[in-house]
Amino acid sequence: MTRRLPSFVRTTAFRLTLLSAALFALSSFLILAFVYAASAGAALRRTDAVINDELAAVERRYDESGIDGVNRYILQRTVGGSDFLYLLINPNGRLLSGNLNGIPEASVGEGGWLDFVYGRAPADGDVEDRDSRRARARLVEIGDGYSVFIGIDIDDEDRLIGRMLRAILAASALVIALGIASGVVVSRRFSRRLDAINTVARTVKGGDLTRRAPRNGSGDELDELSANFNAMLDRLEELMHRMRNVGDSIAHDLRSPLTRMRNRMEDALREDGDRRSRQAALEQALVDSDELLGVFNAILSISRIEAGERKDSFETFDPSPLVADMGELYEPVCEDTGHSFGMQTEPGFTIRGDKSLVSQAMANMLDNAVKYTPPGGAIQLRLRQCSDGRVEISVTDTGPGIPEADRVRVTQRFVRLEESRNQPGSGLGLSLVKAIADIHGASLDLAEGAGGVDGHGPGLRIALVFPLVEEKA
Amino acid sequence: MRVLVIEDDAEVAAYILKSLSEAGHIGTHADNGKDGLVMATSDDYDALVVDRMLPGPDGLTIIRTLRASDDHTPALILSALGDVDDRVKGLKAGGDDYLVKPFAAAELMARLEALTRRGGGGATAETELHVADLEMDLLSRTVRRAGQPIELQPREFRLLEYLMRNAGSVVTRTMLLENVWDYHFDPQTNVIDVHISRLRSKIDKPFDDALLHTVRGAGYRLQA
Repeated sequence: MTRRLPSFVRTTAFRLTLLSAALFALSSFLILAFVYAASAGAALRRTDAVINDELAAVERRYDESGIDGVNRYILQRTVGGSDFLYLLINPNGRLLSGNLNGIPEASVGEGGWLDFVYGRAPADGDVEDRDSRRARARLVEIGDGYSVFIGIDIDDEDRLIGRMLRAILAASALVIALGIASGVVVSRRFSRRLDAINTVARTVKGGDLTRRAPRNGSGDELDELSANFNAMLDRLEELMHRMRNVGDSIAHDLRSPLTRMRNRMEDALREDGDRRSRQAALEQALVDSDELLGVFNAILSISRIEAGERKDSFETFDPSPLVADMGELYEPVCEDTGHSFGMQTEPGFTIRGDKSLVSQAMANMLDNAVKYTPPGGAIQLRLRQCSDGRVEISVTDTGPGIPEADRVRVTQRFVRLEESRNQPGSGLGLSLVKAIADIHGASLDLAEGAGGVDGHGPGLRIALVFPLVEEKA
Repeated sequence: MRVLVIEDDAEVAAYILKSLSEAGHIGTHADNGKDGLVMATSDDYDALVVDRMLPGPDGLTIIRTLRASDDHTPALILSALGDVDDRVKGLKAGGDDYLVKPFAAAELMARLEALTRRGGGGATAETELHVADLEMDLLSRTVRRAGQPIELQPREFRLLEYLMRNAGSVVTRTMLLENVWDYHFDPQTNVIDVHISRLRSKIDKPFDDALLHTVRGAGYRLQA
């Protein structure tokens, strides 16, 4: 039984359509069956009622004028042809009158009812001629051993019902056939659209990230699937692109210190004699390699923070001692580099997070300010509560600032503005702050600083805005 | 001092042993956890250098086992994992210090010396520290040099206290950052150098002899 079915039969759409066709066919069959039962049953009940009425008329005649009256009545009724079938039978079983040749051979049921087949006299040629027609009758004794047999030809009705039954069956069959046909059509359409998406997926898997799934703009679920699929591909492409960029940046940032180190060592080897210069070359190589290790450590830290491992150790705390400690650590540094340092902090706020990471973020923000603000400038560390209740730690400097267009970019890994390429550093400082902000659910806002000093400016204001801490019940 | 180095990486082990012997110490090597544990329990050492990842019982298990048997030989954990969490786990297991690979020999030596010092006289509560004519009173939190009082900020006091407790030995910038400020990351700027030079201007500048020395490529040393 491993014979393969045509491909569209294996599709979900086809199976679903088939299932719904089957259910539809079943339900329409049930409805029609109900209609059939109701109409056929009603016809039968009407027939019985007509027979009973006629029987009542015959019995009335018998009560009024005895068996002769009945005989006359039947003769009268049958003379010009009648819808009814009559027989009057005497106690000996002989036929006295009627329009049938004899009592039909059929078993008499409860209440004298019987269904039978009879041959109609050729004289009644006006109706559809048949050798045998179906009829229903009642055989009742009316008194003194006399019996009367009254029946109705139900052949036409019966055949109508038969036709109805056949029509119902044919209709059900048609419903199933149409269901299957529409299943084929729908599933083909459906699988064509899915195939298009699958083809794109395969192409992308093969390395071509530029392909996108077709959209028909209908907004249906397949269209939505295409849209989501495309959005996912966009994100993937962006990530790939960024990764390539990071790769390029790593290469760029690592190549110069590595090359420097290599050249220095080569020189040290070549230069004969001078021990002191060789010593100096080696020491400088050590500095270079420390710088390289710094870059690697920063990459590692960012990855670990982004992985979110530290979230387990989050606690709720007042950040003011942290800010004060960090200010105290950096104040001499700022003064040493010719900056004026200011700190504004007050206790009583709470944030939720990792103390060590928050300190590290502040250190990086301050490092940045010290590095980029020209001597004579001002650096300020500030802890405050925003008007919406969120707690903010900010560092404001009077350096060159970051052009608005670059503000998002600088928090990405390795992005260093061209102007600062010659500055020492991994280019990872702000990325680390961004990673720390992200894991805390905090936003990292970059804006213009307080303004310029000595023709520098406009300065940079970098702020970590922590989300509100939910009060524990 | 006698140091047991439990480290499976042959090159790192050789580097440590060489650094130890250059500094005049005796290093013994075990290249797996099982041998290391046996050697640590059967011989007396002044300090242990234990790699975190080892064949056999790992570094943390070794230290935990030793501590459980009341062996409090100072232990320094080496690790390629640099996260604060890893550090905390290492210290919880009973390690006394934690150093992330790669590290400079000077850093390791400085830390080992600080560890053995701590293991020695550091346990008794001192109330006064002396280095040459520099005196520190831990109770009144005052500092005098050659009898003259010196005003120090609280952090400067802690910085000097740490240097005095480790007088004669090299302390690295990272050690100062960890022990005086409790920060376990490296700021990019030379924050420690600036603080040291401030301290130096207070305790050394007005006097003839310098006590606070810079050790190139390693850190600082307080010495007469």
